[in-house]
Amino acid sequence: MGTGVVVFGLLLNSFVLCFSLQSLGVETLPPEPPSSSSKEMNFSMGFADMNVESLNELEENDLDALMADLMADLNDTEEKLAVDLEGQKEAEAPPPDLPPAPHGLSFYPVPSLSTPTSPEKGPNTFSAPLADSPAPILSPPTLPQHEEIEAQMKADKIKLALEKLKEAKVKKLVVKVVMHDGSSKTLMVDERQTVRDILDNLFEKTHCDCNVDWSLSETNPELQLERGFEDHENLVDPLSAWTRDSENKVIFQERPDKYEIFKNPQNFYLWKKDKKTIKDMKDRDKELLVEENFCGTSIIVPDLEGVLYLREDGKKSWKQRLFLLRASGIYYVPKGKSKTSRDLVCFVQFDNVNVYYGKEFKNKYKAPTDFCFVLKHPQIQKESQYIKYLCCDDAWTMNLWVTGIRIAKYGKSLYENYKTSMKKAAVTTAWTNRITTTTSIPSTPSPTPKAKASGQANGHAPQPPAEPMAKVGNAPPPPPPPPLLPTQILPPPPSDPVLPPPPPPLAVKRIPSATSVPRQLPSLPTLPTSFPPSLTYMANLPPPPPSLSQDDSSESPPDFLPPPPPALGFGPGAGSLPSPPPVTPPPRQSNIGAGAPPPPPPPPPASAGLQSTPSVRKTGPPPPKRTTPPLAAPSGGDFMSELAKAMAKKRGNQ
Amino acid sequence: MAAWDLSVTVEDLGADAPPITVSVTSDLHIGGVILKLVEKSQVKRDWSDHALWWEQKQQWLLRTAWTLEKCGIQADAGLIFMAQHKPLRLGLPNGLTLRLRACFSGPVFRTVLGICKMLNIRRPEELSLLRPIEEKKKKKDTDLSEELYDLTEVPLTSVSRPCLYNGMPAHFADSLKTEKVYKMLSVSQPAPAPEAIAKLYRPASVVDKAHIHSRWLDSSRSLMQQGVQENDRLWLRFKYYCFHDLEPKYDVVRLTQMYEQARWAILLEDIDCTEEEMLLFGAIQYHINKLSLSEPQTMTSSPAMDDLDSALQCLEVKLDGADSSPQDMLENLTAPELNDYLKIFRPKRLTLKGYKQYWFKFKDASISYYKSKEESLGEPIQQINLKGCEAAPDVNVAGQKFCIKLLIPAPEGMNEVYLRCENEEQYSRWMAACRLASKGKSLADRLFQSEVQSIRSFLAMQQTNPNTHTDNSMSINTHSLVSPRYSKKYKVKQLTPRILEAYQNVAQLSLTDALLRFLQIWQALPDFGISFVVVRFKGSRKDEVLGIAPNRLIRIDLGVGDVVKTWRYNNMRQWNVNWDIRQVAIEFDGNVNMAFSCVTADCKIVHEFIGGYIFMSTRSREQSDTLNEELFHKLTGGHEAL
Repeated sequence: MGTGVVVFGLLLNSFVLCFSLQSLGVETLPPEPPSSSSKEMNFSMGFADMNVESLNELEENDLDALMADLMADLNDTEEKLAVDLEGQKEAEAPPPDLPPAPHGLSFYPVPSLSTPTSPEKGPNTFSAPLADSPAPILSPPTLPQHEEIEAQMKADKIKLALEKLKEAKVKKLVVKVVMHDGSSKTLMVDERQTVRDILDNLFEKTHCDCNVDWSLSETNPELQLERGFEDHENLVDPLSAWTRDSENKVIFQERPDKYEIFKNPQNFYLWKKDKKTIKDMKDRDKELLVEENFCGTSIIVPDLEGVLYLREDGKKSWKQRLFLLRASGIYYVPKGKSKTSRDLVCFVQFDNVNVYYGKEFKNKYKAPTDFCFVLKHPQIQKESQYIKYLCCDDAWTMNLWVTGIRIAKYGKSLYENYKTSMKKAAVTTAWTNRITTTTSIPSTPSPTPKAKASGQANGHAPQPPAEPMAKVGNAPPPPPPPPLLPTQILPPPPSDPVLPPPPPPLAVKRIPSATSVPRQLPSLPTLPTSFPPSLTYMANLPPPPPSLSQDDSSESPPDFLPPPPPALGFGPGAGSLPSPPPVTPPPRQSNIGAGAPPPPPPPPPASAGLQSTPSVRKTGPPPPKRTTPPLAAPSGGDFMSELAKAMAKKRGNQ
Repeated sequence: MAAWDLSVTVEDLGADAPPITVSVTSDLHIGGVILKLVEKSQVKRDWSDHALWWEQKQQWLLRTAWTLEKCGIQADAGLIFMAQHKPLRLGLPNGLTLRLRACFSGPVFRTVLGICKMLNIRRPEELSLLRPIEEKKKKKDTDLSEELYDLTEVPLTSVSRPCLYNGMPAHFADSLKTEKVYKMLSVSQPAPAPEAIAKLYRPASVVDKAHIHSRWLDSSRSLMQQGVQENDRLWLRFKYYCFHDLEPKYDVVRLTQMYEQARWAILLEDIDCTEEEMLLFGAIQYHINKLSLSEPQTMTSSPAMDDLDSALQCLEVKLDGADSSPQDMLENLTAPELNDYLKIFRPKRLTLKGYKQYWFKFKDASISYYKSKEESLGEPIQQINLKGCEAAPDVNVAGQKFCIKLLIPAPEGMNEVYLRCENEEQYSRWMAACRLASKGKSLADRLFQSEVQSIRSFLAMQQTNPNTHTDNSMSINTHSLVSPRYSKKYKVKQLTPRILEAYQNVAQLSLTDALLRFLQIWQALPDFGISFVVVRFKGSRKDEVLGIAPNRLIRIDLGVGDVVKTWRYNNMRQWNVNWDIRQVAIEFDGNVNMAFSCVTADCKIVHEFIGGYIFMSTRSREQSDTLNEELFHKLTGGHEAL
């Protein structure tokens, strides 16, 4: 889902770009005498904005050269796309057509890219933005016949358009990623790609299990540092800070610490409690903790304090100090002062620094232990007084601090990343287990412990789930109805997901069990309601309906299967979710008793999100290619048809 | 049945008027008594809001179908016939006082619902009423300033629907006077004078903080029952610190008042924060002040702005429109630059000369410098990319020193560079450019001008001579943005640059975002949302502090201030109050039991806090509008509710 969102953002960008061009295009169109040629140009331009990067490589002012290049590029991409259509998606394709790069990873982008190709098969299909953007560029050649003023205006506009394109300059890097087995893969990474995109890409290439622990890390051998990139970070940025002769590496590996905070929040938020309570923590309580700290209006940072060793600037000695973590930074207690907030001295704030693990600092810096972490500006690559070194007594403390700092620095993004990862993981597991899933609702995938995330997903990312649902509804008509019916039977469970927040109240003996009951009732309606919204979304999303037919043609068998799981998918989500509702021992039991069988179905919304992704993933991409029409609708009907014509003409010419 | 005489005082006839005596029988119901009373009074008016109050028993006779016998009323009962809604002077979180009609007969919980409905505050269950802290000396001028805002004229019936008119609830749009009240409610107040802050009561210790919580009214009893009289002063405050479903679009008043409460909590050191946090709070306050002065007119008074979203869209279109003419666009295209002679100093190179003058060019987030203007077409002596750098002011207006301190990251560490500008004007532009560049933005960014503006206004604040202020709205004494502790610690000219520094990170926020950011940082403070009560734990001989937070209870050692233990509500099995010995006993999972008696506050207040928080956590996202009042009373009512 997360990737979907990201991609969507990218799409929007290109949209904006196109849009700005569009207005210009309108004016320029009239002057052009030969409509056919102009249209043709239009088409090519549409591509041009996709291939922004190629533009940048050109000398901006040489329009002719630009046009020629664009055409060439266009042809290239078209060929590529055609190939894609055949069902062979080349991950390596990105270089030629930049925009696709993200697509390779995510389903959504593909549609946009593919749209251009659509004309080939379906003349009416076209997205307005594409159509408009081309216009401006064409105009230059045709200009001469008109008054100078107008020409001047146009020239200006073209220049403007070019500038806009230039703004969209995209930086790319070829990155060598060291795999967990020591081998390496080389990737082309463009600056708009997030680490999440790249992970998805690597998942496809490596066929690993896609669990949430997989991460990209950077190592700096010179400083003996290591840091896991966060999923929402852009990769190109930090990598550009590396020096030319850097021995730094990017590593693809599993890092259990990456999302430990969400799997066992009690370790971080209740670290002061005795070991036993922490260990015996119930899943429901864990979910509550996560919700409490990550779902409120403000992110709560674990309340950490403890004595750490600080490496004195430029000296070899390590000095002990009492440090405290707050959302605003790390503070220490000056000698002879109290721990009250007003006496604290700020040690570092997180705006400009990243946190790194130090490796073998005992040797390198004579640290008291090897459990060190470091705070430094990402651009600093060598020994410097601006690097802050801290050393902890044990690995656990170090983990506590590093994670705490990440929460303070990244806040909600961390949680969003986790939810995205969970969905990704759930999709893949569902995918691999799809046979089993289809048959047994409860036994579905294994996202179990992390299911909580999915629960929250409901509240937070309504959009994504909607899409999946839509698909369920439209694509495989038969499957959807069945899920609904069963769920209705199961009504009690749905209430559970709704309940999670209330739990505490139930705990109170005073609360009559009756109160809990009424609550469940309201929740029932939620199930059905969730569906309608999804439908509306569908309307906006071109892919779903047409996708059915196309699915078969393009990615046929594997893709087609996924849809059913979504419906059943509720099972997995549900299974995980039920736990939250039961708040107090007494009420909970009653709930369980009633809803025991249902548990799987209740979470529909959440599960929908989870499961939907799979369906989206496989089915999504193919449909868009041909289904463009709906997409175009929002922007401008006229352009669409014109574009379509242009496309057709162009086809003819070629 | 024998008839007997019942005498009832009718409040509306005046204090001196003799009671009206009606002849009744014991099986006459209350409604009948009222009817007789009204007839006998011979006053024609709307009596529908009136009810009988039984003075000796301190209770309302609201069940009109009950007979006198059932109520236990005999001839000696002292009954008063009076309006249920009476004017109340309400101290708002923003420190201002508003007169309005509140319900004196229903439980306070219901009264607060009514008040919030009138003020257009959603989620009224999070607020409550408390008795104000007595002012030490009665000053003559206090009454003058207080009576400015009055809503008592607003008919109670008009409050029912929350439809908007002119960007405000319809009942505010009736007159200019009420419109002014709405503006007061929905726009944050200008920064108070530092002296005013210093004069107000500040809790000095946890015990002081605990005392404030002894003032909360009992939610399950009426105002009359708690001895509140007509025109008395009460404070309306957010009591439960879990703000549900905050939606800026509908919650203008709620958000503003929440901000005001947070702001005052910080200014009065009711909640502790670090110096860095205080500076950031100060910066956001400054930003909000500035925006509140400019935005409210467009936001609230224009009828087209009912929908905040559409308003924002308008704004965006306008902004886009600004550079839509080709000419403008072209101007933007020719990448803007700054060119000037500046002086540079690099502390690392120990040159004796110090600052040296070069021709500087600022373009695309980097600075290049040349020996002279004439050589600026050639290769620069050096080019410095500012992306990711830190730009701090090093300014002394009085001394005419305008330096920019740059910390520029490089693989080897941070390079320190000082740029010295000639005057304010030059400094403002270059500083703004450096700020934007550090965030990877170019001069073409439309934030540039506003950045220049804000730097100028901050410089103006540092000017020692107040006469030079051209724009009064911008000149805020930075001491009014921080608590007295920091006012004492720093002079204005020390404080201002530091607030300016913090301001850079928030300057782009919209008013709503700024309010939300302030609240977020407030909520992220470790002590946020903890209400303190001094208690004595069972088996302990000394007083300790119980902190009641939205999700847990905290036991705090009074002497050291350390947290001894925390218990989370979701581990709570049950809690009981022994009303006879006024002791609260709580049982947690795993057979953990604790019990305490309350020292500073009544145990009903503690009980209500705990029950209230548990009630708050039962609110789910889905069921948005229905408030389960019954459940609230069940959780907080104590023995009366049973």
